Amino acid sequence: MTDALLTVDGLEAAYGSIRAVHGVDLRMAEGELVALLGSNGAGKSTTLKSIVGVLKPVSGTIRFSGEDITGKAPEQIVKRGISLVPEGRDVFGALTVEENLRLGAYAVYERKQYQADLQEVFDLFPVLKERFSQPAGQLSGGEQQMLAIARALMSHPKLLMLDEPSLGLSPAMTDVIFDLIVRLNERGATILLVEQNAERALEIVDRAYLFANGRIEFEGTPQQIRERVDVAAVYFGDGTDTDACEVKQ
Amino acid sequence: MILLEFIVNTLSLGSLYALLALGLVLVYGILKLVNFAYGEYVMVAGYGLFLGATYLGAPWYVTIVGSLVLAALVSYLTEIAAFRPVRTKSMDAMLVTSFAVSIFLQNAVLLAISPRAKAVTLPAFMTDSVTVAGVTLPVRNILLVVVTAFLLAGLSLLMKRTVLGMAMRAAADKFTTTRLMGVPANLVISAAFVMSGFLAGVASLFWVSRSSSVDPMTGSGPLLIAFIATVMGGMHSTVGAVVGGFAYGLLFNLLSIVLPASMINYRDAFMFVAVILFLLFRPQGIVSRGYVEERVG
Amino acid sequence: MSSKKSIREALLDHSTLLVLMGAVTIVGVVVQLVGTPLLKNIYTSFCISLMMVLGLQMFMGNSGILSWTHIGFVGVGAYVSGILSMQPMMKQLGVPNMYPFLVSLHAPIGVAILAGGLVAALLAALISYPLMRLSDAAGVITLFATLIVFHVVMTQWDNVTNGPRTFFGLQEYTTLWVALIAALATMVLAWFFRDSALGLRIRASRDDRYAARAVGIDVVRVRYLTFVLSALVMGLAGGIWAHFITSFSPKAFYIAEMFTLISMLVIGGAGSITGAVTGAVVVTIVREALRQVEAAINNAHVLPFEVFGLTELVLAVFMVAVLIWRPVGVIGAQEARLVRLKATSGGGRPAEADKEV
Repeated sequence: MTDALLTVDGLEAAYGSIRAVHGVDLRMAEGELVALLGSNGAGKSTTLKSIVGVLKPVSGTIRFSGEDITGKAPEQIVKRGISLVPEGRDVFGALTVEENLRLGAYAVYERKQYQADLQEVFDLFPVLKERFSQPAGQLSGGEQQMLAIARALMSHPKLLMLDEPSLGLSPAMTDVIFDLIVRLNERGATILLVEQNAERALEIVDRAYLFANGRIEFEGTPQQIRERVDVAAVYFGDGTDTDACEVKQ
Repeated sequence: MILLEFIVNTLSLGSLYALLALGLVLVYGILKLVNFAYGEYVMVAGYGLFLGATYLGAPWYVTIVGSLVLAALVSYLTEIAAFRPVRTKSMDAMLVTSFAVSIFLQNAVLLAISPRAKAVTLPAFMTDSVTVAGVTLPVRNILLVVVTAFLLAGLSLLMKRTVLGMAMRAAADKFTTTRLMGVPANLVISAAFVMSGFLAGVASLFWVSRSSSVDPMTGSGPLLIAFIATVMGGMHSTVGAVVGGFAYGLLFNLLSIVLPASMINYRDAFMFVAVILFLLFRPQGIVSRGYVEERVG
Repeated sequence: MSSKKSIREALLDHSTLLVLMGAVTIVGVVVQLVGTPLLKNIYTSFCISLMMVLGLQMFMGNSGILSWTHIGFVGVGAYVSGILSMQPMMKQLGVPNMYPFLVSLHAPIGVAILAGGLVAALLAALISYPLMRLSDAAGVITLFATLIVFHVVMTQWDNVTNGPRTFFGLQEYTTLWVALIAALATMVLAWFFRDSALGLRIRASRDDRYAARAVGIDVVRVRYLTFVLSALVMGLAGGIWAHFITSFSPKAFYIAEMFTLISMLVIGGAGSITGAVTGAVVVTIVREALRQVEAAINNAHVLPFEVFGLTELVLAVFMVAVLIWRPVGVIGAQEARLVRLKATSGGGRPAEADKEV
């Protein structure tokens, strides 16, 4: 990991006076597919929000492509090539699919490129072409998730971050989304994935970080994690229970 | 005859109220801020008319454009100087700030110009009347309906066809997610304030022309109208604001007819009571949109 | 908190209250003994403002709802107590159109003030239940609209209020002592209310109304009871103020006066009694100082025009500055602990120092 795309050092973040992340360190190389695992409230989403600038870190530094982006506004960070697909398929329900995609390209808009990107999105998600002029709120949950991902891709991110993409989706649709993540990664996208479904995520990622109580408990390849950690406990833990993530001795 | 008069009056009053409500909702939609300083943009535009027409003696079209620009500019300045620094604080901090801004602007005018009302000289067509089918109607009422129709159409195009409009609609829905698209928060908020000030300016032209004068308290009437109309129509959408504006205009004219002369002074009180009662049965207003409010951070 | 406490512990628990009361009392006594008549007037007026701010704090600070209506209850208390305490002859003179049955009503001043508070509370009890159901923007706007309804009624109902004209002829009853004792009593009330069962529940509903509902708190009812109680205080304050100022018009119970009260609460910090008291002190001093400056400028005739509105202008800027610099107010939501206690014997207030107003 000589040329890290993303480096997070000693990140601490809080909501008001409630500290949610205490000293998190992350590294990501270009082309990697990495997951942040852990139970609800372990600090995974908070870490993503801090990276993308929605939450101002209390301390620590975040570097992206060699540049310090700590504390910058989300709109500035997006321009530098980080895109977040927020939890809960945060599409703009009153806007059409077309308008959602157009806003996705806001930071990088260029007419010709945009048309080409649209074609690519239609290849990846044929259903979005069918629904092009419908309000996004009328799409099904899975379709909304596709739109949210497509929208994030429109800005040509160097790093794509997905927050709980399988949340609330049917198993079949979860498969579709996970396949898509793998395909995007194979095409060269660097992806940081937050997932509660640890078993599922470990099937596709290169590496993973295990979170518990706002800290990283363990980091390694899926194989290393399976050997040393009770993955089921990570999945079912409730976040207040430190034991859930304890490393096997 | 009376019916025609009633219809035109209600349409023009509704147009005025719709413009006022729309200006308030544009900012509320994005910032979730009930802007108590909104009436002062109307007041400032009124002083723009006074300064241009009466004080400087400029041609009427220069005066009107100048006062619209002034209202938009003052609205924008209040955003930068007062609302932006407290935006990330609490909801109440913003509310109280808007109130302080209102008091500030009122007293600034009081101090700099005069506590007394100033006469505003308006072009003749704003005070003329025409007779249509035996009914005498003020020209400005007809003009108001036409101007409002054009503004609503223009605004609708802006919101639907331009990227800025899309971004503003998106921001009114999910502010943080809009920023994640790379849309600068300050851009959409500033745009909302500029448009809000502009609409207040247009409304001011017609509001001030009714009394041909302006004073530091001129803004309080329009503010209340915008409040009540938006609450009636539903705070969350521009359509709601327009519907609320016309509904309020209708209610006002109906009460003026129905109430006996001895009670006419209580008209405002009746109206507010009616609105409060209405809200109890339908807190979301006439036009509702089913999403949860998000704080802007 | 155990019910069996030593007196020492009880004193320590309430040390902040005792110190605040002590400070207000000592300054009051000094002003009474050596102050000029102007200073006595300012201090009396400060004590009445303090009573109103604390009454407002009971509702606004604890429920987190910005209420514009409260000054209306001050008006109700003022008019009701005035109508009751004035001699019928005076009333006929001052309010020519008054209903005959109101003219004949008469009561001692103390009873009149009490009745003013009760009528204000009764009115609040009649109208406020539906209002308490609304939150956020609709809540703010309807409470504001309610103030306007109050104002319209006060300016139009000239059989009772003399309309927009001055209502005059009240006896001067409120001395510095009366105002001071009223303010101290309100401090005690507000202080104990904060930690009462109702106070705790309404504070829980402020912090998270869904969570509060989930643990079985009837948020609307809790808000309603607090609103009525705080309207009672505002009504009493109105009666006491009316018998200090002796003549007034509906203007005194409208937006400008409410702005002053809210600015006191915001600048000091709405979440605590200490904040409310601090805000009242700061705003009174700033306001009086600015008035002197304004008067001095006008009297010196150095400017070609009269200076109007400078006081409000500066107060507004000051308020925004405080909101930017410290949105919880100068003091914040936590009571200033003048005697620091160990955690074990402390009053166990929830950690809310960083909660925003």
